[in-house]
Amino acid sequence: MPQQIPIFDLIVNASLLVQIVMALLAAASVISWMMIFQRWFALSRAHRQMEAFEDRFWSGVDLRELYGELQEDADNLNGSEMIFAAGFREYIRLSNQAGVDADAVMQGVERAMRVARGREEETLERHLGFLATVGSTSPYVGLFGTVWGIMNSFRSLANMSQATLASVAPGISEALIATAMGLFAAIPAVIGYNRFTARVDVLVKRYDTFAEELTSILYRAAHKT
Amino acid sequence: MHTLRDYSLPLLLAFGVHAAVAFTLSQGWKPPPMEPRVVAPNIVDAALLVLERPAPKPAPPAPPPPPAPKPQPEQPVAEVQKPKVDPLAEQRREREDAERERQREEEARKKRLEALAESAFEEELAREMMDLGEDTDDPAALTYADAIYRAVVANWSRPPSARNDMEAQLRVELIPTGEVVSVTVISSSGNNAFDRSAEAAVHKARRFEVPPETRLFERHFRSFVLLFKPQDLLR
Repeated sequence: MPQQIPIFDLIVNASLLVQIVMALLAAASVISWMMIFQRWFALSRAHRQMEAFEDRFWSGVDLRELYGELQEDADNLNGSEMIFAAGFREYIRLSNQAGVDADAVMQGVERAMRVARGREEETLERHLGFLATVGSTSPYVGLFGTVWGIMNSFRSLANMSQATLASVAPGISEALIATAMGLFAAIPAVIGYNRFTARVDVLVKRYDTFAEELTSILYRAAHKT
Repeated sequence: MHTLRDYSLPLLLAFGVHAAVAFTLSQGWKPPPMEPRVVAPNIVDAALLVLERPAPKPAPPAPPPPPAPKPQPEQPVAEVQKPKVDPLAEQRREREDAERERQREEEARKKRLEALAESAFEEELAREMMDLGEDTDDPAALTYADAIYRAVVANWSRPPSARNDMEAQLRVELIPTGEVVSVTVISSSGNNAFDRSAEAAVHKARRFEVPPETRLFERHFRSFVLLFKPQDLLR
């Protein structure tokens, strides 16, 4: 019953190289989906935490108090909390040192916040490179498997005296599965990559804005004294 | 751990997605149900016309003519065999013109064969009628001819491009075991597919029942001409 070939039989009967390609693509697909989910959760959490922290920050709470609270679970800081903690720690240290003028304090604070912001950005963008790689290469990998499979099925055709469609069709069909799998892995990866890059950009812009606002507050405080 | 907590749920979800996809494929991937294609049996009406004796064959050590009664069996059988080609008139005319026609045909055939020899692989001929040899003088030969005709018709699948007015003639040569040794198109239908199908029909039959008596075989079946005409087409 050639028209009843189930798809898994095709995979099982494919040649070794095509099977390797398929396995590679299946692994890439699983991992990229894992990354997609992981990034999704991580970015949503980062967004939520940033909103929550900014609410706290603008609620009129005393900055030293806030800093003290953050110090209590210093391991779980992220996003704008981290930037605030880094900037404020630097501010306290420098203003407690004798002989450091206000401008130098502000420079140090800005530097510390820039570093923290860079780290945060790095954390947010983690794994996006993997998604980009899967998205751009897996179609080619799949295509390679397909071309190889079709090549073999035509080569075996050469040995037959009676060339029928039925003798090549299964080979081509199983080879095409490799392309299908490549696209199946690539499409979510590309969509995920674009989506998450956009979200990371939004978050980083919010961090920048927050850092500017904190700078201006600290600047006022530094020059008052 | 931090990492474990971060990645275990996504990993589970990713596997879930793939398992769902695989499940859908294994369940839903049923090729559209193929309706069993009813192939109309390719039975084609064919009739026996003439048994032609191979031109170059010098009559073997001429035994006395077969004792079988000559004209009587010929008429009824011939009539039964070709009900579509206005039977009686043609038969009579054929008998009358037999000699003249044969000579003319032989010459034409020689010319055609020469042309064929030049264009090495030319196929021609189409139409379903078998033209089995020469004077169908004895009923035994007719029986065998009929069997050959049936075997060829059973193996013949006409190409879709066949038309009613096509006609192909093939010369078939056998060896005494009935094995086909050569099939040559001697007059093409003008449609290669049709000629090829006719040729293929003979090749597929591969082996025909032939009379065990050498004389009968040499006379009628060593080499004979099959005429192919599709007669049952409505187009």
